Amino acid sequence: MAAPLLEVRDLRVGFQTDHGLLTAVDDVDFVLEAGKTLGLVGESGCGKSVTAMSLMRLLPQPAGQILAGQVLFEGRDLTKLPLEDMRKIRGNDIAMIFQEPMTALNPVHRVGRQIIEAIQLHEPTTPDKALRRAVELMEWVGIPAPDQRVNEYPHQLSGGMRQRVMIAMALSCHPKVLIADEPTTALDVTVQAQILELLKRLQRETGMAVILITHDLGVVAETCDDVAVMYAGRIAERGPVHDIFARPLHPYTQGLIRCLPKLDHPPKTDLPVIPGMVPSLRDMPSGCRFAARCPNPHSDDVLTTRQPWKDCGGGHGVEACACFASQLSAS
Amino acid sequence: MSLLSVQNLKMHFPVRGGVFYTTKATCKAVDGVSFELNPGETLGLVGESGCGKSTVARSIVRLLKPTAGSVVFNGNDISAQPQSALRTMRREMQMVFQDPAESLNPRHTIGQILEEPFIIQKMGTRAERGEWAAELLKRVGLPTEALHRYPFEFSGGQRQRIGIARALALKPKLIVCDEPVSALDVSVQAQVLNLLLELQRDFGLAYLFIAHDLSVVQHMSDRVAVMYLGKIVELAPATELYQNPRHAYTKALLDAIPIADPTKRRERQLLRGDVPSPINPPAGCAFGHRMKHPKWEQSVGMDLTLKEVAPGHFVQPCPCCT
Repeated sequence: MAAPLLEVRDLRVGFQTDHGLLTAVDDVDFVLEAGKTLGLVGESGCGKSVTAMSLMRLLPQPAGQILAGQVLFEGRDLTKLPLEDMRKIRGNDIAMIFQEPMTALNPVHRVGRQIIEAIQLHEPTTPDKALRRAVELMEWVGIPAPDQRVNEYPHQLSGGMRQRVMIAMALSCHPKVLIADEPTTALDVTVQAQILELLKRLQRETGMAVILITHDLGVVAETCDDVAVMYAGRIAERGPVHDIFARPLHPYTQGLIRCLPKLDHPPKTDLPVIPGMVPSLRDMPSGCRFAARCPNPHSDDVLTTRQPWKDCGGGHGVEACACFASQLSAS
Repeated sequence: MSLLSVQNLKMHFPVRGGVFYTTKATCKAVDGVSFELNPGETLGLVGESGCGKSTVARSIVRLLKPTAGSVVFNGNDISAQPQSALRTMRREMQMVFQDPAESLNPRHTIGQILEEPFIIQKMGTRAERGEWAAELLKRVGLPTEALHRYPFEFSGGQRQRIGIARALALKPKLIVCDEPVSALDVSVQAQVLNLLLELQRDFGLAYLFIAHDLSVVQHMSDRVAVMYLGKIVELAPATELYQNPRHAYTKALLDAIPIADPTKRRERQLLRGDVPSPINPPAGCAFGHRMKHPKWEQSVGMDLTLKEVAPGHFVQPCPCCT
């Protein structure tokens, strides 16, 4: 089998704070194949954005550090790359879009100029050609009347249009990987559907791989090929999207899927809940991090000993906590 | 008799600008909204950002004074009453806000926050108020030690519980919930939704439940009203609305919701364009205008008052969308 496009191995990321070094991402590994979409899903603070930032080496400096692990992109370890080479990879090979396009765009420059800047940083062209390319890109991402819109400022565009501008900038150099960090969270559902559809179309046309970071399982189910469910800095479970939804193994994944209100359920009935909340980064158990909220009976051992990773075939794997590991081997 | 009856509610804001700060235009945030809410019932209000759902909430609890229309609560029209007369009304009508971090005073302890409604209403002695605050905390599932702590010491879900406790303090009949769970993670969202359902069963509360997430609204409500650009376009019992949507906008909204089941992937009928601005909205049916529907012109000048098409199911009768 050919090497995957992007492979993350045992990534550990920490932040230096007043309370000492806090590990936000702990032994995360996953694989991204060319042309596929990987969903990175989890609740706030689970480390999904920090993982994305470390892939791009965009962690806030000097507090954030990659403590261990590798990020292999086409065989090269990005964590060891000199900053100069890393800069060439950003935008050219790996690009990123963010949740709130209004904060990611410069409010005092016309959007056209911002797209042109992105183009010219990577391929020196004449201003005329760059402008023409910017208009083409805007048309490509479905912005109506692009030759007028290039001259508008971000505040003159709606949220959906701004996100399209961000996507146009990110794709200006045909990256092989697009990291989309909650790209539709700030948008209304009908606009969200437009943007997700756009991303799918662009992916078909360019063959790029996408890492989609989201907290919305609905978005994951509709757009991703593979999913990694993160909890408290670790990957609790990962696998093909159909497998994860049809046969979630980790009690956290099960709870997450069950606690969503569903349209075809009778209204005003109690939802299944995951009790309690995520443990604080300052006193993270070294063993199973979900134990305190887990509905399964378990011994105190699972809190203190690291639970093993178990491969269940077909790319589906899970952090097999002792509280359910016995059922895995039985089935 | 209904607990709350809203008739033809309008909330228009002047848009000012220029050298002399003159009124340039009118923003018709809410433009003729009518509905009834019965004791112990939940009415969901759903729509995209800018459709006026929060403005409806704010005009009902009189944080805004409506431009026109009536809001009859408990038999009294409160839409025109002076500010001073509203205090007694507010015992029976409370509000829970979207962002509990912003609606709780960061410099007050939880105890002070929960006692404030009693102080404003001049109820109880200091000792009694402390007891009541402790009871409220227990009721929403927080330990009484929390009384002496500050809002920043709590997570988003816990803060929302405190916001709910404060709304419960005066034993209201109606709580207006404006996006109470949209700032929360899904696992915490389920906890807060269950708490709201439990409190409704125990105290017979009525809710006006506002959210942009149709599946959350559908889960919480007896009846659901769909708003678009300042108007209700469809109002129906929750299950009926989901199974048998009549208005094109409701259908589009239902179709756009991502379903957490990869076996149900489907090709979508994508809506084009964005919600138009409520400043100088189009005449007639605003959604038909957005869709450039060939029959839209027929809706201009038409009476677009909701019509009952099935028992309890009301739809805006425009030729373009129904």
